[in-house]
Amino acid sequence: MPMALLLDNLGFFLTGLEFTIRLALLTLVCAIGVSLLIGLMSVSQWRALRIAALCYVEFWRDIPLLVNLLFIYFGAPLVGVPLKPFTAALLSLTLWGGANGAEIVRGGINAIGRHQFVSATALGLKRWQIYRYVVLPQALMPILPPMTGLCTTLVQATSLASLLGVNEFFRIAQIVVERTTMQSGHSPAFLIYGFALLVYFAICSALTWLSRYFEQRLQKTGHSAIAAPRGFKESA
Amino acid sequence: MKHNFDIAYIIASLPALLEGLRMTIIVSAISITLAIAIGVGGASVRIFNTPVFSQLARGYVEFVRNTPLLVQIFFIFFGLPALGLKLSVFWSGAVALTVWGGAYNIENIRGGFLSVSKGMREAAEALGIDRLRYLWLIALPLGLRVAIPSVLNTSISVLKNSAYLQAIGLAELTFVAMDKLSLDFRTLEMFAAIGCIYLGLVLSLSWAVRRAEWVLQRPFRTE
Repeated sequence: MPMALLLDNLGFFLTGLEFTIRLALLTLVCAIGVSLLIGLMSVSQWRALRIAALCYVEFWRDIPLLVNLLFIYFGAPLVGVPLKPFTAALLSLTLWGGANGAEIVRGGINAIGRHQFVSATALGLKRWQIYRYVVLPQALMPILPPMTGLCTTLVQATSLASLLGVNEFFRIAQIVVERTTMQSGHSPAFLIYGFALLVYFAICSALTWLSRYFEQRLQKTGHSAIAAPRGFKESA
Repeated sequence: MKHNFDIAYIIASLPALLEGLRMTIIVSAISITLAIAIGVGGASVRIFNTPVFSQLARGYVEFVRNTPLLVQIFFIFFGLPALGLKLSVFWSGAVALTVWGGAYNIENIRGGFLSVSKGMREAAEALGIDRLRYLWLIALPLGLRVAIPSVLNTSISVLKNSAYLQAIGLAELTFVAMDKLSLDFRTLEMFAAIGCIYLGLVLSLSWAVRRAEWVLQRPFRTE
């Protein structure tokens, strides 16, 4: 009987999974852009940009993600742009993921020795050239493991979109539980939510494994991975 | 619709918000305390490689860290009654946050224990100090010093994530705010109010973390 319930709703679950993956991938792409921008701002030579970046990072990281999500969804109509739940979730996760990613990018850039900047300047490279050809290519390897970790956190955080009514995987699970309870009189919550946990576990542990793989590869080249920013793994 | 920012409205809803804040603080305080206890216990069985328990602790950490907290909360609140374990909204929330924070604390505290040098352990063994005493007299005082900043960071996350409990209807800060929002539609005022409260809580706690780091490192500074 329990297996039948899962099999009957398999197609339904898959549509939810597709939504989850689409939301996670879109968020990831946008969040990496924001991370790069804010991360570069936080190592800028201009004080004003550094302070702006610091405020951005602290603001989005210190407010619970759920409050941030609800604020964007309910607050957007006030400035005249009502957002669809999916867009609101995408925007909220991007701003939040960008704040966490910015700390990773900053850590990666700071891990590069001061002498590299000095030598590059001595060779006559302009500032943007130093970043483009010297700093960023080297920073990429050490930021890869924590960035993959951020990816895991983002996949988990997409489950919050269910609270706005986005039909992602967890929302589908809730619908199945409600519908079955209504039809049969007893709740299959244990089975369905247990199943949901296992599906998220499969996706996220694959990503965690990838993150560890990157880390080991990095250690082989003699570098050590930069530490993830404080409290970031625990964020979702 | 003209929307003026109404400070008086925030002041008028302050008693309700403070009631919510009280709930947030109570549920977080319970969860944070229990999560630290789980962390110490789990980290101990991990470093001593206690058979069965060590593997269980490892699996527990992996599972919790790779699944969303929101789904865990729903599983505990709606799913566990099927096993005859029916918890109230409050205790479901407290258990969910504890289980979640505990998993992170095991790793935090294990990291602290691992930072205690191997020589200490060997010396303790040579002196015939048993494992429990080693833990209490050597590993905890030395290891916790290293682990405390990350434990406190996890605790801050527990506090922030208590907002998720509004999804199962616990009347904590976010729930109260959303409830008032649905009555009065004072969106901006409500979010400004709870945003400031959360920001104030988290910033003062992270100040405490930095302060703790400074105090704990005092014996190791040269000047």
